[in-house]
Amino acid sequence: MIQLFHVTKEYPGDGPALQDVSLEIDKGEFVFLTGASGAGKSTLLKLIFCDEPATAGQLLLFGKNVAKISASAIPFVRRNIGVVFQDFKLLANRTVAENVALPLEVRGLAQKEIRRKVRGLLRSVGLEHRADKFPPSLSGGEQQRVAVARALAPDPALLLADEPTGNLDPERTLEVMDLLYGANARGTTVVVATHDRSLLERYKKRVVVLQAGRLLSDGDSVRRAVS
Amino acid sequence: MALRPLRAARRALESMARGPYVALVGAATVFVAVFATGLFAGALGGAERLLAAWAGEVRVSVYLAPGADLERARAAAAALAPGRRVEAVPSEVALSRLADSLGEQAHVLEGVGPGALPDAVEIEAPGLSLEGARELAARLRSVPGADDVDYGTAWLEGVERFVSRARTAAVFLFGALALATAILVSNTLRLAVFARREEIEIMKLVGATDAFVATPFLLEGLLQGLLGAGAAVLALAGVHGLLVPRLAAAVSAARALTLADTLPPALVVALVGGGAGIGLLGSALSVARALRRT
Repeated sequence: MIQLFHVTKEYPGDGPALQDVSLEIDKGEFVFLTGASGAGKSTLLKLIFCDEPATAGQLLLFGKNVAKISASAIPFVRRNIGVVFQDFKLLANRTVAENVALPLEVRGLAQKEIRRKVRGLLRSVGLEHRADKFPPSLSGGEQQRVAVARALAPDPALLLADEPTGNLDPERTLEVMDLLYGANARGTTVVVATHDRSLLERYKKRVVVLQAGRLLSDGDSVRRAVS
Repeated sequence: MALRPLRAARRALESMARGPYVALVGAATVFVAVFATGLFAGALGGAERLLAAWAGEVRVSVYLAPGADLERARAAAAALAPGRRVEAVPSEVALSRLADSLGEQAHVLEGVGPGALPDAVEIEAPGLSLEGARELAARLRSVPGADDVDYGTAWLEGVERFVSRARTAAVFLFGALALATAILVSNTLRLAVFARREEIEIMKLVGATDAFVATPFLLEGLLQGLLGAGAAVLALAGVHGLLVPRLAAAVSAARALTLADTLPPALVVALVGGGAGIGLLGSALSVARALRRT
């Protein structure tokens, strides 16, 4: 599903954010990307999300070379990808239901179908009763659950989460992680960038460690990753 | 993705309802520009209509020197103004007309002899332009025995010159005003787009195409332009209703001024279309810039 071949990303006037990273993530995998701040986790997610181009190397997404995807085709690639951010990125002036409906509206679904799907998604994240509230009136954990519901709304093949639990307390962290875990159990490939070691230990999934932009280790267990 | 116009329109109306002040500022900017343009164009149209009305009453009088042959002068004038009604007005008839026009004040003419006013030949030339009146008067100076020629509307020449220059200036003024308004509206809408940059960013995150993101903004610009221009046209009609009766009290020809003179349908269409176009252009400029940055 995701293949990186010697990918490097440099920003003008700055050192390389990623250096010669080669990596392969298969369909249905759950992968933690970890490393200290500045290790290149967010940069890697941006490349996968077609938000920025790689400076060198090749990145294949769903079997397509990202460098050869035209700008006008990028929105259609993104429709197969759900994204969750640490700062939620919810629209404050739209209700919870409207926020979750956004990716479905973009896809041109009928209103009736959108309402049905949104109801089901909010039920699955335990926020059906908050459908008409605005995000600022929700707790951090609730807002992140809304963001997860929005990311999962179009049944994406791939879910990227950049520090999704960075602003949450341990209890809310587990709620959000369980949602991502559940999505993976239903077949969605999930890539989570986090520096929270407790998550790596708890979920025991594949861990890719980045350090100063380089791939330090890629293993099946947290023990190997953090050693 | 299906770009559904009705859904885009709904999103545009919703966002205008969410941020009514920004929408109002945009519409107000278009209003000011369209109102100023319409006021100038309407005043120009009204002035031209008044000039035409005044010029339409052209009556050229050829005053004869004492002892001149009135019948010979009339015949010469008729030859010089073919197709016009030419009338010989002897001194006593002129005096009688003057007395009639004075009404109750006619007694002031008691003791005035029949030779006090000169014999004259009067030529009526309805519908003649000021330029035509000027040329006719020049030709009539060659009438045998002519002492003076008066075409009554000579005072309008200054007004006509002013209107002519204003018409030339209007072309440049309209161009400058349209450009200034487009920049102003673009800046106002840029604020609106800036205020919603997060929304644009999030829409693009969830896979929205540029067209999906831009369409509601363009519709908003169009609606703001239509609202502003529509309100400006209504205000211009109001100004006509307020000013024309006051103008008519001072200048009788102004009574003939109708709304179609100061605000003809073609001008209304141009103003509303121009306002909508400026709104659309302004939003297109600002949203294109925002899309490039996200």
